[in-house]
Amino acid sequence: MHFLKSARFQKAIFLFIVVAPAFAAYVLFTLYPNALSIFYSFLDWDGIGVKTFIGWDNYIRLFQDPFISRALQHNLILLVTVIPITLAISLVLADLLVNRTFGENSFYKVLYFFPNVLSLVVIALIWSFIYDGTFGLLNGLLQVFGLGGEHNWLGSKSTALLSMIPLYVWCYVGFYVVIFMNAMQGIPKSLYESATLDGITHMQRFTKITLPLLSGVIRVGTIFLILSVIKGFEYMLIMTKGGPGGSTEVISLYMFNLAFGGLNLGQHFYGYASTIGMMIFVLLVGLKLVVDKFFAKDSVEY
Amino acid sequence: MRIRVTSWLWRMVLFVWALTVLLPLFWILYQSLKTNQEFFADIWAFPSHLKWGNYEKAWTQLGIGKSVINTLYYVGLSLLISLFVSTVNAYAFTRIQWKLRSLLWSVIMISLFLPGINILVSQYTLMRALDLTNSLNGLVLLAGLPVGAFELLLLGSFMRSLPKELDESAFIDGATLFQVFRKIILPLSMPGIVTIGIFKFVGLYNDFLGPFILISDPDKYPISVNMYNANAMMEFKADWVTLLAGLVITIIPTVIVYVLFQRRIIEGATMGGVKG
Repeated sequence: MHFLKSARFQKAIFLFIVVAPAFAAYVLFTLYPNALSIFYSFLDWDGIGVKTFIGWDNYIRLFQDPFISRALQHNLILLVTVIPITLAISLVLADLLVNRTFGENSFYKVLYFFPNVLSLVVIALIWSFIYDGTFGLLNGLLQVFGLGGEHNWLGSKSTALLSMIPLYVWCYVGFYVVIFMNAMQGIPKSLYESATLDGITHMQRFTKITLPLLSGVIRVGTIFLILSVIKGFEYMLIMTKGGPGGSTEVISLYMFNLAFGGLNLGQHFYGYASTIGMMIFVLLVGLKLVVDKFFAKDSVEY
Repeated sequence: MRIRVTSWLWRMVLFVWALTVLLPLFWILYQSLKTNQEFFADIWAFPSHLKWGNYEKAWTQLGIGKSVINTLYYVGLSLLISLFVSTVNAYAFTRIQWKLRSLLWSVIMISLFLPGINILVSQYTLMRALDLTNSLNGLVLLAGLPVGAFELLLLGSFMRSLPKELDESAFIDGATLFQVFRKIILPLSMPGIVTIGIFKFVGLYNDFLGPFILISDPDKYPISVNMYNANAMMEFKADWVTLLAGLVITIIPTVIVYVLFQRRIIEGATMGGVKG
């Protein structure tokens, strides 16, 4: 009996030391701020002064604020370019790495993935140097090929946002190459073998067999990319601060600047920023549902 | 013949993408060894001699030396705490029977559906209210203590695969819960713990937004925020080669860890990818 008692006591002590603090910290630092942000979204609050409850005013303001629709347009431009380009490049590279037997393939896989472990400050600064108007790598390359090379890519309104596209693609491709490679290696060889006997070309094999079998992974990848692109505003924060003239201000950056920036506003809007945060939350969930619907989840069977 | 030509074409495609990854990195390294005059004059020209002095300047004048110590403290301590938390919690949630287990498990899994972007403001005000802003210990607490769903899933599945008889026979031999955990479960779970550890290290080392929002004193900047700050200063100083040298210093730990552990890093990252 004594043994049972002490074993039970041990268990209680263990759980109390181990689970309680970590779980409490999780509730405090993760769940509670989520609830708090709902509360804040109904406030007019500069972060220091009095909290004024203003009901749905912030939510109504969302629809009247021209900067919101502008920022969402920028997000949309990034989404419709970055996602298909990233998926296409990763699929082709993954197919080449899996189905061709070049000696350097295993090295390439590791190399392609490397940008994923680089700090985003490092990536942002590297790309700032690539795009710089006077000593940038891109201009240098253009000069070598005699294609001008005087342009300040991030400093001009017409190219600043578009310049972010290659950066995002560069960052993301390596990750999806690995994801797609894993999926492709999971496809049974026998499927390919019978097709090869029928005299199928590499291209047909890729479009007719590989792609359809990968639709599930591509769907998950698309959702992931949507999340990454909408959440990943740090590159603009570091490289352009949303400029020039707001041309790279995406929705998350707008939210961030309202709360913490105070650059040209000189004021902080914690309440309204939280409302935008709620909108982004809803947007992400909505987009996920749309993608789920768009790619019908007919499970593939081998 | 045609097959061989297209094969070489595809090989070139792979090579070109490899180049896009490598070229910017080598270019940074190359420029960081020039003088500012050489850098401005012609970005392709070779440096007249390799200026390693840029690195010394970056270390002292850009505050990298100090920020490296801050980073070591923040990353090291957070890593230790979070690995401890993840491991013991994975053990408690997979190998011990208790009442609230499945309820707490599902509450933790909620975080997989929370994007996190909407709590930038509220998490900041919370930290401010707790007087944890502008403090490395505050960052450590935030990064290390809360139990993470991803770590729990990964280590949990690892521990579930260990046979139940291991603990049972040890208990019969009179071992305590702590002993079973330390002597049996912990050593057997090491591969999973190492994978998570390396993966976490990369995340913590690269973390920018958290420290950027929460730390305002430059003496406490970890390396990522320090580099951001150094870059912002360059608009007035225009000492770009030193900044580039700092950038290379920042990349070196990443390269070392990646070369040593690339298999585990890729494995850990893609496991995270499955959660979506």
